Amino acid sequence: MDHWRSNSPSGPIDQWRSRRTMTRFLRQVAAVGFDAIDTFDFRYWQILEQYGSVANYQEFVQEQGLERIVNTFHGVYYEPDRYAPEVPETHATIVEDFKVTMDRWSGIQLDNVIVMPGSRFYDDHGPTDDQLKHAADVWAKVGEVTQQYGVNLTCHHEHYAGIRNRRQIDTFYAYADPRYVKFFVDTAQHCIADVDPVDVYEAHHERVTGFHFKDTRNKDVNEDYKLFPDAEVSAVTTEKWFYEMGTAEGLVDFERMMRSVRDHGYEGWISVEHDKADKLGGDYAESTAISRWYAKNVLDGIYAGAGA
Amino acid sequence: MKDTLRWSYAINAWNLRMDVFVRHEEQQRALKTLSVLGFDHVELASGMGGRWENLGTPEIILINHGSAEGLLAFLRRAGISGVSSWCWDPGQPAEETGYAFLMTRNPADHDAIVEAAKPFVDLLAAAGGDQLVVRPAGSAWMAPPLGDGDAGIVGSLWNRVGEVAAAAGVGVSLHYDCLQPFHTEEQLVSLLDATDPALVGLALDTAELTIGGIDPVAFYDAHHGRVAHVQLKDTRFQDAGQEYLTPGAEATMLKGGAGRRIERWFYELGTEGGLVDVEAFVASLRAHGYGGWVVVEGDKGGNATEVAMLNSWFLQRRLGVEKV
Repeated sequence: MDHWRSNSPSGPIDQWRSRRTMTRFLRQVAAVGFDAIDTFDFRYWQILEQYGSVANYQEFVQEQGLERIVNTFHGVYYEPDRYAPEVPETHATIVEDFKVTMDRWSGIQLDNVIVMPGSRFYDDHGPTDDQLKHAADVWAKVGEVTQQYGVNLTCHHEHYAGIRNRRQIDTFYAYADPRYVKFFVDTAQHCIADVDPVDVYEAHHERVTGFHFKDTRNKDVNEDYKLFPDAEVSAVTTEKWFYEMGTAEGLVDFERMMRSVRDHGYEGWISVEHDKADKLGGDYAESTAISRWYAKNVLDGIYAGAGA
Repeated sequence: MKDTLRWSYAINAWNLRMDVFVRHEEQQRALKTLSVLGFDHVELASGMGGRWENLGTPEIILINHGSAEGLLAFLRRAGISGVSSWCWDPGQPAEETGYAFLMTRNPADHDAIVEAAKPFVDLLAAAGGDQLVVRPAGSAWMAPPLGDGDAGIVGSLWNRVGEVAAAAGVGVSLHYDCLQPFHTEEQLVSLLDATDPALVGLALDTAELTIGGIDPVAFYDAHHGRVAHVQLKDTRFQDAGQEYLTPGAEATMLKGGAGRRIERWFYELGTEGGLVDVEAFVASLRAHGYGGWVVVEGDKGGNATEVAMLNSWFLQRRLGVEKV
């Protein structure tokens, strides 16, 4: 996934600073054995500026030893008066936005466009059933658009987002047309929201089109999801939410997760994510290597059938 | 790495200061990083961190891991199979030896140096290591210019250490670094000529030779029969002339404290502006049937993990070496 920081003569930077820094990033990802990358679609403008087109950027990625770009994450700030899945009056805007988005990325073949399916709710009750149904409706319309490009519309549930607990997730998918609305499992985000990532995967595996594999050491026990702008950056008692797979005291049972992925015959991509890995002295490069070590030495064998 | 050459990685890049690379968990993370990058052996390095050198000083390693087998078990937890080599500078003051400044150019220190070498040799041999990589002499700026007899004096010491090591099944190789006094090609060859090729070889460091004004490819082609060990890294700079003689050159030259103020001398393989023709050097190793270890070294070249990843990328994508 796109998250990355490294040090430079001008201080901490991300990989999008220049083609040189992107080269170093991609080579590190390739060196440890990953095959592809995901990105954010708000990088589109930097891609145009530095590479000329999305296709050119993917070619640049391939020159460093990676196969392709698999997914792009569509990050939008939801507002009820302008752009919110729960508000039908904004649905035309959302659908139109995705027509533009898909045209922008049509130079390459993606597997998924990932979205956060619900707005933020900073209160106790969260979205109503009607609001969940409205959200499901608009993402089905968007999914119809993305599938015209051979791309899945898939939903990623942040621990602080409006559709975060198991009841909300199940209700949302009960309303959502499985032909057009897919599910993207983020192991740590679900865990933080007290949703068992294996259980929720097994309940909805037929529409799962991707994973973010990362770990956490903490659940949200303080109703941090109510914090503005979001608990990932503003939680008071948890400075660092995310850790790489295999971390000590990790709450995600990755071996069980992998057995389930294997047993359900999943053959798509699994993305590894290091979101804010540099908190508390962490290092993106090291987290990338350690997570690949864990995948190679623990998970690969399970998927190949060696695990019980 | 799956290759006819034997590849290892130097663990010293992570050991920036005596108290930053001591927790076993931190060491496991570095070892796992190297493992997933395709390296299955590591090179250890002695340091001056005393009790904190639990991957560098024999007695501290034994306190931590009990035995050579315990050390190997620790490495294997991360997927590292063994130790290729161990770097040791007898002139580096250490707590265990009372901070003695042992000088290889001083015959009076030779008995003490031979004794100090034994724990390294014994543990390296027990761990299945191949080479004790030694600094042949202290920095040039710390002593008078070389005299006619210095090569013979220093060579005689390393022959003695070589005998001790050979008895344990370990080789001794003299590491060229850009600050030590056998600086020019002529001086370096004079030192090698003063040693017994059956007991002592050269540890050829591509970046250090380049900084010192010696072309590593040409030198290897001319003297490949004496090269028992290789350290592979790149540099963007050469010594402008006599910078290695600047007082305190470890800091004034190599840390940018004075002169041209170059803060970083060592770079990953394939760095932009790199002066080492790594591809040609490795091709020469293959052409001459080199059978020793090739240790890739990050040295003091930035983020140790990033540099290791970029080095592995270069091996895989530019040298065509397949990962394990």
